Amino acid sequence: MKNIILSTKDITKHFPGILANDHINFDLYEGEIHSILGENGAGKTTFMNILDGLYIPDEGEIYIKGKKAKILSPIDAMNYGIGMIHQHFMLVDTLTVLENVILGLKDQGIFINESNISKKINEISEKYNFKINPKAKIWQLSLGEQQRVEIIKMLIRGASILILDEPTSVLTPQETDMLFDILQQLKSDGKSTIFISHKLEEVMNISDRITILRKGKVVGTVNKKDVTTTDLATMMVGREVYFSFEKKPLDTYEILLKIENLEGYNDRGVKTLKGLNLTIYKGEIFGIAGIGGNGQEELVEIITGLRKATKGKIVLKDIDITNLSTSAILKKGISYVPSDRLKDGLIPNLTPLENSILKCYYKPPIYNRGIINYINAKKYTENLINEYNVIVPLMSAPVRLLSGGNLQKLLLAREISENPILLVAVHPTRGLDINATEFIRKKLIEVRNSGTSVLLVSEDLDELLMISDRIGVIFDGKIVGIVDPKEVDIKDIGLMMGGSHYINNKEGEF
Amino acid sequence: MDGISTYFILITLLFSAVKSGTIILLPTIGEIFTERSGVLNLGIEGMMLVGAFFGFVAAYLTNNPYIGFVVGMLSGGLLSIIHAVISITLQGNQIVSGLALTIIGGGITNLYGYHYTDLRLTSTLKNFPIPFLSKIPFLGPIFFNQDIIVYLSYILIVVMWYILYKTKIGIHLRAVGDNAKAANAMGVNVFKTRYFWTFFGGLLAGAGGAYLTIGYAPFWLDGMTFGRGWIAVALVIFSMWNPLYAIIGAYLFGSIDALQFQLQAAGTNIPSSILQMLPYLITFIIITFATIFVRLKHIGVPKELAKPFSREEK
Amino acid sequence: MFIFERRESVPLKLKIMIPIISIVIGLIIGAIAILFLNVNPLQVYKAIIIGSFGSRYAFTETLVFATPLILLTSGLILVYRMGFWNIGAYGQYIMGAVFSSYFAIFGSPELPKFFMMFIMIFSGLLGGAFWAFIPAFLKAFWDVNEVITTLLLNYIALSILRYFMYGSWRDPTGLGFPLSKQFPLNAQLPRIIPNSRVNLGLIFGIIAAVIIWFIINKTKFGYELRIIGGNPRAARYAGINVASKIIIAMLISGALAGLAGMVQVSGVLRVLQIEISPEYGYTALITSWLSYLNPLIGIFVSILFGAFTAGGYLIQITMNVPYGIIPLIESVILFMLIGGEIFKNYKISYLKRSF
Repeated sequence: MKNIILSTKDITKHFPGILANDHINFDLYEGEIHSILGENGAGKTTFMNILDGLYIPDEGEIYIKGKKAKILSPIDAMNYGIGMIHQHFMLVDTLTVLENVILGLKDQGIFINESNISKKINEISEKYNFKINPKAKIWQLSLGEQQRVEIIKMLIRGASILILDEPTSVLTPQETDMLFDILQQLKSDGKSTIFISHKLEEVMNISDRITILRKGKVVGTVNKKDVTTTDLATMMVGREVYFSFEKKPLDTYEILLKIENLEGYNDRGVKTLKGLNLTIYKGEIFGIAGIGGNGQEELVEIITGLRKATKGKIVLKDIDITNLSTSAILKKGISYVPSDRLKDGLIPNLTPLENSILKCYYKPPIYNRGIINYINAKKYTENLINEYNVIVPLMSAPVRLLSGGNLQKLLLAREISENPILLVAVHPTRGLDINATEFIRKKLIEVRNSGTSVLLVSEDLDELLMISDRIGVIFDGKIVGIVDPKEVDIKDIGLMMGGSHYINNKEGEF
Repeated sequence: MDGISTYFILITLLFSAVKSGTIILLPTIGEIFTERSGVLNLGIEGMMLVGAFFGFVAAYLTNNPYIGFVVGMLSGGLLSIIHAVISITLQGNQIVSGLALTIIGGGITNLYGYHYTDLRLTSTLKNFPIPFLSKIPFLGPIFFNQDIIVYLSYILIVVMWYILYKTKIGIHLRAVGDNAKAANAMGVNVFKTRYFWTFFGGLLAGAGGAYLTIGYAPFWLDGMTFGRGWIAVALVIFSMWNPLYAIIGAYLFGSIDALQFQLQAAGTNIPSSILQMLPYLITFIIITFATIFVRLKHIGVPKELAKPFSREEK
Repeated sequence: MFIFERRESVPLKLKIMIPIISIVIGLIIGAIAILFLNVNPLQVYKAIIIGSFGSRYAFTETLVFATPLILLTSGLILVYRMGFWNIGAYGQYIMGAVFSSYFAIFGSPELPKFFMMFIMIFSGLLGGAFWAFIPAFLKAFWDVNEVITTLLLNYIALSILRYFMYGSWRDPTGLGFPLSKQFPLNAQLPRIIPNSRVNLGLIFGIIAAVIIWFIINKTKFGYELRIIGGNPRAARYAGINVASKIIIAMLISGALAGLAGMVQVSGVLRVLQIEISPEYGYTALITSWLSYLNPLIGIFVSILFGAFTAGGYLIQITMNVPYGIIPLIESVILFMLIGGEIFKNYKISYLKRSF
């Protein structure tokens, strides 16, 4: 009954400055769902990439069905029956489902046997109720559907061990339930699954056993039946976790930002904002919950002037700022912390100094009659770095060498130091370790307490519940409900995120 | 001029247009596939030059145009390997590397070309009509009374289109050019794919150059390609990375080139320098509009274009 | 197997070694290429050195060839720092020469030299700036690929030059050659070193390089350019008007190229002709890169390449080695430089890991 189908001994992996995996011993029973739990940076993805042949460990061995396995590439992993579904899908948008399945498939000659593969795809699709059309192009599919294509790819290649890396980060609660059903069905078909997550509730839901990683080491492997969520949290973090923050209640309700009937398009020319209404009060943190792709990105870009609205109005205090230029909007007191730090907010090849003055380089004391005073700039930067505890090994080195947490702190420092009246933050703690995450969340609340409003877009529902004053759920380009995090039932949020519910309390009423 | 003369002049013109167009069609197809794999090779002009020169020399010395053609092809291919190594393995700046390739092509051919100027090939490519097809009115004498390279180019276009969209090789190519990480995760060797298609582009660029000195004008002059390589770069965008559309741009350019030539020979009032400018001016206008059009239609520039891939672990 | 492993910091030694190794390899490959001509490479290199530094006159010739390069390199560095690939320096150079020559050819020889020089310098700047404006505008507003547009404009500019040279600008007394009449005295840019062709352009060049350095490193405009070059999205977010920066920077770059053209025809050749040293356009690209996009270093690299050019012309005459050897060596150096970049951030290590 309990064969060990995969095990590892002393897997160790170094990266410059980090010991990502430290002598990891792990085993997987045939037919079990085994979760690997850990926070961001614990080493889960590194370990998985080793099993999948994308990384090569510095030390250690992998055993498949008791025999030593040599996995030097993803093809080797596939030959051993390991199929990995990455967090960022390994799909080519411009190709069809069929073509993506064929990609890299062995024993396919030069010419494509379309009907053969199509048939196999449809068989699997029917068996697990995936509802996937082989001829559809990937960019036309929802993220949940794309994930199912990834599963199909693995099953067609005869995978018996499935690895899923944070699979629910792109799903609604309903789609998550669907995924869990699929996993149970796969389990009864004899497949073994490794489920990687940092979400305690899910892990308690789906797993047979759970291995907790912390700072690259295995903290322990437990049976689900023997532990509680709090036990897991403690093992994951190594200390008592406090899930609450100091928040002053709001005393006055002064409208800061009012958005009316906003309409906008994304880069593909698809209308993603379809008449969005939203009110933000002075001094509150307004969280936006929702699955990526429902218009949050475009909403944020329109508010910050990086995209044009095609209809509707945005009024800041009493000023209409709709479709003003970015610099005009920024000068009115809006700051922006984008989700992709190195892509949007910072300049990777320039120094921390040059990055930190990006918002104030045209004002005294740094700017004077065409010239930039680099001495003052240096002082300014040093103040920021000290206040926010940003660790900068070398001031003359480009910022892309800084760690994710420090980058985010630098970015936040820069944006907050302008004393904005509205701070727009998108996924501010994504990919950060728990210290940096806590620091950022504390800073957001600090800023809120001092009177700045925060528009917080986050995929981390826990985070939104933790620090927001109100939460608006966005679905299909509209706000479909606004709730009080202290009172709401998380099921309702899930339903709204999936579009099947609409609550309209808290719209301007307390 | 009566109708019949006009008719024959038109046929003669378009007949030359096909030949001139072929010079540029081959490199365009080659670069389409190079770029589809994610590599930007701006060194087409340089590869065409070495193809033209070494092809000419080989044809002259062996008195065999076909050997010359193959040598020209290989020269282009060899030169492209420099760019491949720098762009793919060493992850260097592809724009500068391509430009350096053009410069070195010019330098090499200038250095050794001195002794081969003013020489003429005695044995060049012969035209032969395809039975039945060459009898089609108007189209026959234009398209089906050509030399073997032109005929091969017709086949090439169809074959390459089929490979790109209907075979596993094509899927791998498109995947590498649009999402190298995904292709790599699925077991496709990104490096090998890019090396292969960059070399392929080099072969075809060399072929285009060789055709210039062997099939079109049977002599060698320093700098003979005179910017055709750059027109090819523009045509790749114009054809939206689809080999079938490349024909339109290539033959259009060929027509302007042939027209310019005819007008000069006929001794018109239009100064030759203005005529010479036409191909570049028209390409310039085309590329401006094509860019706007492509952007509006969200048509696929290969997403990985000019982005080096590394299986870097973090 | 061999893999690339990221370094933790960039060793200073490497920063200096890579350009030196590049130059050495370039010379070695050049030597091999020369051997195929049945000529002794050492003699060729000796001749190049003599032709560039071997005598007072040779050294001044080096400076003469360096002069347009300094101007061109400075202009290119400005836009390359912004990430704008101006390959059209040659066309801008031609248009500067054309615009300024107009006054030399058709203006009054009686006009006071000071005025004529002023007009010619101004029109040289204008011609280059105008030619650079077109691709800048297209890129700024419609994102049209600037590599292709600037390049095509080179060929178009050359055609325009030919049009004039075979047409109404040809010297009627010149026996039909495509040359203009000799520039009158008031249209000749003064030479500053006696018994040489070194002219005022050298001073222009050095001043330009210093100004460009200052702009890039000390001014708000330069800061904004570097932001655009580093991350255009972040630049737009910071409220930088990217379109206007592209246009202004290109106007400056084109103007400097145009000035280089004016300097060449007015200070050196004293005549307008078709062959106004076309290799400058692409050589300037190489010098810009070899200078690590620093205009002050660019001055010295330009002098080095001016030496190559002077030597190259000499060996063409005295040793029958065509000029092509020079771009060959230069491009090999460039290849080594680009290829060597990776070693600053990565080192090769041998992975002994076998399971």
